Amino acid sequence: ENSPAPLPERAIYGFALFLGSWFGFMLYLIWAYVPETWLFSLGLTYWPQKYWAVALPAYLLVSIGIGYVLLFGINMMSTAPLNSTHTVTDNYAKKQQQKKFQEEAIPALRDIPISEVNRMFFLPEK
Amino acid sequence: MEERPYRSASGAPIALRRRQHSASCRELAVRCPRLQLRSLSAVTSAVWLAAYGLFVLSENSMVLSAAIFITLIGLIIYLHFVKIDQESLLVIGSLGIQVTSSYASGKESTTFIEMGQVKDVVINEAIHMQKVIYYLCILLQDPGDPQGVSEVVPLFQSSKPRLDCLIEVYKSCQEILEQRKTAPQSS
Repeated sequence: ENSPAPLPERAIYGFALFLGSWFGFMLYLIWAYVPETWLFSLGLTYWPQKYWAVALPAYLLVSIGIGYVLLFGINMMSTAPLNSTHTVTDNYAKKQQQKKFQEEAIPALRDIPISEVNRMFFLPEK
Repeated sequence: MEERPYRSASGAPIALRRRQHSASCRELAVRCPRLQLRSLSAVTSAVWLAAYGLFVLSENSMVLSAAIFITLIGLIIYLHFVKIDQESLLVIGSLGIQVTSSYASGKESTTFIEMGQVKDVVINEAIHMQKVIYYLCILLQDPGDPQGVSEVVPLFQSSKPRLDCLIEVYKSCQEILEQRKTAPQSS
C-alpha cells in the first residue's frame, strides 16, 4: 500500500519537478546575466538587485559548511553524559510488564537489568 | 596487598593496587601516569616562543614577563585542580563506599556513599567523545522504587582503566556487596 514502486502519478510529479527546476534555473541565469537596461526595456523593472544573484549562492554554501559543524555539535550535546540514568535504563524499560513464564515456549523479549547482565558477563559461573 | 600494571583507555600505563583490610573491607586504588617532563617542556617552550614572537612584533617587554607569570600560575592551577594522581575506592561492607581523588599538588577530594543508598556497582558502557568506553559506576537506589535507579556515579573518570582492570575491581566489589544479601542487618 505504501510501496516505493514507480507509479504513473509519481512519473508525472517527477516530470513536473524536472520542468520546474529547468525553468527556475533558466530564470536565474537570465536574471544574473542579462543587462539591466535590456530588462527595463522589456518592462521588468521590479526584479531584485543582481547583487543577490551572487550573494545567495555564497550564503547557501557557507550555511552548508556550518551545517556540518552544527550537526556534529548537536550530536555531541545530545549524547547522554556518563552520569545520567539514560545510559542504564529508559521509560520503556521502567514500565515494562513481566510476562508469565510458559513451559516449552521462547521467553518473551524484555530489557534485562544491567546488574544481571554484569553478573553474567564478568562473574565466572561456579 | 598487590599492585599490577594495566593500561588506560588512551594507552597510558596505570597501576591498580588492592588491599584487603578485613573480610568486609577492601581498598582499590588506581594510580594515574605522572606528569611527563617532555609534555611540560613542550607546553612551556610553545608559550614562551609565542610570547617572544609577540615581543618581536610589539617591542613591549611586558609580554615576556607576562608569559613567565602565566606559565607559573597555569602550572600551579593545573597541578592543583586538574591533574589527578590517584583515584581510590574504599568499600566497607556494612557501612558504605568512599571515593577519593588525590591531585598532584596533594589535595584530596572525598565522597562517601552509605550502603543503604548503594544499589549495585556495575561496569557500564557509554559513548564518550566519539568512543565507546567501559567505566565502573555505582548505581544509587531510588527510595520510592526498589527496582529503580535514581542516580549513576561514575568512578575512575581521570584514569579511565580498560576492561581487564575494571573486571578485577568489579569482582572485588561484588564479593563484598554479596555479603549484604547473605547477612541482612537492620539498616
